[in-house]
Amino acid sequence: MSSSEITGTVQGAGTARSGSVRIDHVTHRYGRGGETFTAVGPLDLTVPAGECLVLVGASGCGKSTLLRLIAGFERPTHGSVRVCGAEPRPGETAGVVFQTPRLFPWRTVRGNIDLALRYAGVERARWPERRAELLARVGLDGTERRRVWEISGGQQQRVAIARALAAENPLLLLDEPFAALDALTRERLQEDVRRVTDLTGRTTVFVTHSADEAVFLGSRIVVLTRSPGTVALDLPISLPRGDVDAEELRGSREFAELRAQVSHAVKAAAAT
Amino acid sequence: MSTTPVLPTPGDAPSSIGVPPEPRSPARGVWARVRHVALPFGSLLLFLVLWQLLAASGTWSETLVPSPAKVWDAFVNVSTTHDGVRGYNGTYLVEHLGISLRRIALGAGIGIALGVLSGLLMGTVGWVRSLFEPWITFLRTLPPLAYFSLLVIWLGINEEPKVTLLAVAAFPPVAVSTTTAVVAVPKSLVEAARALGASRWDVVRDVVVPSALPQTLTGVRLAVGVAYSSLVAAELVNGLPGIGGMVKDAANYNNTPVVLVGIIAIGVSGLIIDGLLLRLERTAVPWRGHA
Repeated sequence: MSSSEITGTVQGAGTARSGSVRIDHVTHRYGRGGETFTAVGPLDLTVPAGECLVLVGASGCGKSTLLRLIAGFERPTHGSVRVCGAEPRPGETAGVVFQTPRLFPWRTVRGNIDLALRYAGVERARWPERRAELLARVGLDGTERRRVWEISGGQQQRVAIARALAAENPLLLLDEPFAALDALTRERLQEDVRRVTDLTGRTTVFVTHSADEAVFLGSRIVVLTRSPGTVALDLPISLPRGDVDAEELRGSREFAELRAQVSHAVKAAAAT
Repeated sequence: MSTTPVLPTPGDAPSSIGVPPEPRSPARGVWARVRHVALPFGSLLLFLVLWQLLAASGTWSETLVPSPAKVWDAFVNVSTTHDGVRGYNGTYLVEHLGISLRRIALGAGIGIALGVLSGLLMGTVGWVRSLFEPWITFLRTLPPLAYFSLLVIWLGINEEPKVTLLAVAAFPPVAVSTTTAVVAVPKSLVEAARALGASRWDVVRDVVVPSALPQTLTGVRLAVGVAYSSLVAAELVNGLPGIGGMVKDAANYNNTPVVLVGIIAIGVSGLIIDGLLLRLERTAVPWRGHA
């Protein structure tokens, strides 16, 4: 199954397993009483099923908070967040990849994946097949028995991605997952995430501060203003997806132009 | 391009930066062996020599400082049948020790089990911690002898007060270290588990318990140590047979050699048990320091 998926054709946007996100007049404040800090909003945003939305903005613009709202870790102070029409719940709505891998050090690579499969309610008899499929999808075959601290940072983040994909939730959320990695590993993982989102058709929200990463990954880019985060730029990206040469894509003129546009918007938004 | 000097590839970078080459000279290996084997044995030998000199000098009477040879004789006496007397008071030294170890296993076992449970509870439920923490601190500061009399009044002079004393002594270190460990469970890992769909109970079993395990095991080692040091106190009343009871009884008759044999037996068995626990800790938590 895994091999046919890797080489197979790109699924159309919005498969049965992907979900849409609706954010209505959402405001989120931290703190209580007189000393509150508005991190997000007021914000309106709709993410159709199957889209790969990249949220870009300078640090402290509330993009991580927005991701936590969509994942269901936080409830908005005002307004509503709906995923497939329902209130988001941690563990059911979205697979989440954090800035650091957050793997369980007392478990091996295999143990980390298995735990995710168990929480996802996958039958134990199907674990070996699903595990192999997930590890192959993120390019980690043969590392099953390794301790998570023995593998490199890039590999750890791959395990985290595999773990987040285990439950087949309607959404995949990634919060600056490659910020701590070296440039080469980062590009490889970007290519992998691009491939995975294309193949699964899963609705993806990816947070980054890098214009380059945003243009490469996104089918749509939203630039947020500095706190409180509101939409400064909403840009659909029509770069080719599916089976493309990543190097060629990164070197194309269209890519450079989009990157410049996003980069400019991020700087302008940060200045406000 | 071929004339440019060879640049290290990114993959080589970690090995060429930061890590100094490790000189593994033979002299260093010999020194390590000397340090780990010869030094401990050397210090033991030096101690025995000084002891012998002190005893032979006659500064103190033989009752106060018996010579090493006298203590060795006492050791042989309590380990064999001589003049129709079996060991000390009808029991061999190993049997005294075995009976005491059983008391410790039972008492400290109960104390450790209760300590782990209450530590888990106190670490996860805030008000339980506020309720019990002062009491545990109070208990921890009490010397076991202080409550032993009370235990004798309540529970009599048989096994019950002894085992209870060891349990009460072992409880606080485990409870305190488990509580601290549970409170310190990384929020990021709890959140990661919740993001994967873990229930509250899943989080406790798969994140809280393994994450708290290293510090809890350190607490267990401390607890066994505390129980061990309370052994003589626990066996003050009706402690025979038992190694602590033997020490107490021999002291009543100014039988210093047997007192010393008992103390050495307690110390050596304590060292062995601590070593075993340390090994258990290492094999049970290989991720220590990697969390």
